[in-house]
Amino acid sequence: MHVYIYDEYLNKNKYNRAINRLEIRLTDLGLNGKIIRLEAIKNIKSAIANEIKLGSKTIVAVGNNQTVNRIIGAIIEADSYGDFQQKTLLGIIPIGDDNSIADSFGIKNADDACNILLARRVEKIDIGSAGENYFLNQSTIESQGTVLEINNYTIESQERGKISIINLLSDKKETVKSNPHDGRLEVLIRTRKKDQTFLTTKTLKIHNPNYKLIVDDVVEIDTPVEINIRSGKLNVIVGKDRLFD
Amino acid sequence: MFSKDIKSENFKDAETIIGESIKVKGNFQGQGNIVIEGFLEGSLKTEANLLIGDQAKIVANIEAKDAIVNGEVKGNIKAKSYLAIGKTAKIFGDIQYGEISIERGAIINGQILMISEEHRRGENKRQAEGEEEK
Repeated sequence: MHVYIYDEYLNKNKYNRAINRLEIRLTDLGLNGKIIRLEAIKNIKSAIANEIKLGSKTIVAVGNNQTVNRIIGAIIEADSYGDFQQKTLLGIIPIGDDNSIADSFGIKNADDACNILLARRVEKIDIGSAGENYFLNQSTIESQGTVLEINNYTIESQERGKISIINLLSDKKETVKSNPHDGRLEVLIRTRKKDQTFLTTKTLKIHNPNYKLIVDDVVEIDTPVEINIRSGKLNVIVGKDRLFD
Repeated sequence: MFSKDIKSENFKDAETIIGESIKVKGNFQGQGNIVIEGFLEGSLKTEANLLIGDQAKIVANIEAKDAIVNGEVKGNIKAKSYLAIGKTAKIFGDIQYGEISIERGAIINGQILMISEEHRRGENKRQAEGEEEK
């Protein structure tokens, strides 16, 4: 059974047509299931855990990056996560803006997402963690003044620019390769001087007293913070045009 | 000028690239090809190949299989297989190499010693055994 988790912002009138069209399409494809609206539940973690216990096979995030991020966090921390990893899948139906996570899984729009759910092509992927937060794509921070502690060395940058800690890239034009199956995070530093730094690691610590770390373009967190990779932690339904092999 | 087997182009898909504006401090160790264009202090070691760019400044002992040095190094260099020293290189330390080439204009202040064939065979054997165990 599918459980569809709708983000609060979808209540706005401008999304009514998209939601109606989506629900008709899901019914036509035989994919209808239970709908849970985030604004109606107090504890997303226990709501999802409950659905998994009741036998739900697929949890579908309907919304944007923020929706996916909240659901991932709830799923991973749920007591029944072990069950989730073995039996239940994560699906995504992107509606509106800020859907780089869906893009990276080859899910272009809501119509596309329905066909992808039906095809049920599954990939087991890594997840990044930044403190108590999780990310599927990347975490970013301003490079100026940032110190990265990796294994037995540190990396510092005094130039303005951006540091990205990448699990799975969301930009097709990006020349750097990322792999959400390799159990490693890619660290990419691009400064305004146009030089580029690249390396991979399983864990690192980030320090910057002046700037916050931005997780999946959704959450801002203070540093110092430890970032780790959790290998093969999630089974996701993906499209043919995903940005990884 | 350098061996056809090791050129700057070979480092296009290097495992690690340290850009010009970056400072690395500590013991830096890798398995794959490494490119250093910035500043590194501590120690630098890889089982594969190393390219030190012409703007790079390194204060460390270095060990690699093949190495191209075009920047400044204060420390000892050990290239088990092949070492290419470019015309912009400034090296202040001792060098051990399997094979070497030095371009006109390079500055070297230190001893230059070839790693004996016997020693190299021993190292290669140890490395191969290490890979087999993995």
